[in-house]
Amino acid sequence: MDQIDILSGIKPGSELYRIRRKRPDYVEGTELCRQTVLEPGHGFGIGHAMRAALAARMARLIGRNDLARTYDLMVEEAGGDETLAAIASAAGLPADADIFTQALVRHADLVTKTPRNNTRADIERLEAAGLSNPQIIALSELIAFVNFEARVIVALEALEPVA
Amino acid sequence: MSASRFKVKALAWAPYIEPVDVATATQEQLAAMQVTPSNTKVSPYVRTLAHDPESYVARTKLFNAIMYAKGGLDRAERELGALVASAVNRCVYCASVHARRYVELSDRSDVVEEIYMRGLDGPFEPKIQAIVDFCRTLSETPSHVGQDQVQALRDHGLSKAEIVDLIHSAAIFGWANRLMHTLGHSTPVDGR
Repeated sequence: MDQIDILSGIKPGSELYRIRRKRPDYVEGTELCRQTVLEPGHGFGIGHAMRAALAARMARLIGRNDLARTYDLMVEEAGGDETLAAIASAAGLPADADIFTQALVRHADLVTKTPRNNTRADIERLEAAGLSNPQIIALSELIAFVNFEARVIVALEALEPVA
Repeated sequence: MSASRFKVKALAWAPYIEPVDVATATQEQLAAMQVTPSNTKVSPYVRTLAHDPESYVARTKLFNAIMYAKGGLDRAERELGALVASAVNRCVYCASVHARRYVELSDRSDVVEEIYMRGLDGPFEPKIQAIVDFCRTLSETPSHVGQDQVQALRDHGLSKAEIVDLIHSAAIFGWANRLMHTLGHSTPVDGR
């Protein structure tokens, strides 16, 4: 059982459990991707706790509080603070949050909710807030991963009870 | 077979940020981009994502497994899942690539014409409608995906294993669109 089985309500030994195991490249590939966006070897200065807090926030925006809680635990283990807690809970940021953090959160919200409306100006705002090119890519991959993962969970959960 | 002669134009893609320069790339970036002495031509898309080589390599493997794995859902229907997600997310570049692949594999330019000219409402024939409706909801508002939509896929002959493939192909385009559409824009091929 992995996180996706548990959050999708897939029972061990069920038909869907066996179907997933026949696609090990999906199952293992997803976990490998999770590692590269949440706990990468090279984080480009965006720490594990911040990545987990952003992931929790995006999961909440998509409506998967159960997925969000798995990322809340990561934040706590990595050592959370007031700002990270606000990010994770999908609340507004404390007034003293720096512009770099504000830019990360704004971008995660937009690309999760309305990616179709993103433009060049949104990337320029990240640059203006001090993000380097590797940081822009790392942030984009993290956002996209959580959106992928949440969709897989939602859909597998709908599929599990269907005969 | 389709009577439609609708054609989707091939497009190029240009990033909003400076991509990695092959001449100054790190060893890890060169390996991620699979640059070799005989292969130094790398697309702007790959060079843009190679700023974070670790995530690029892992995602590319997952992407290829989902879109090209043997058995299971027809490749054409995986491409349709990709096209529907790209239409929802307005990723013009991804849509053009995967609309053309879908037509190559299915010969259904009529379906692509309907999507390009009138959107995702349809009506399409029942099986295609079930695939479009499911992938659209999953892409737009995942919290609204219901068992009824999955049941519709089963009723039109998709096995549960094939539905797992469809889920992944639509979801991986929720990922790909969030890169391609937010990090750059489509350009005419001639305008490069």
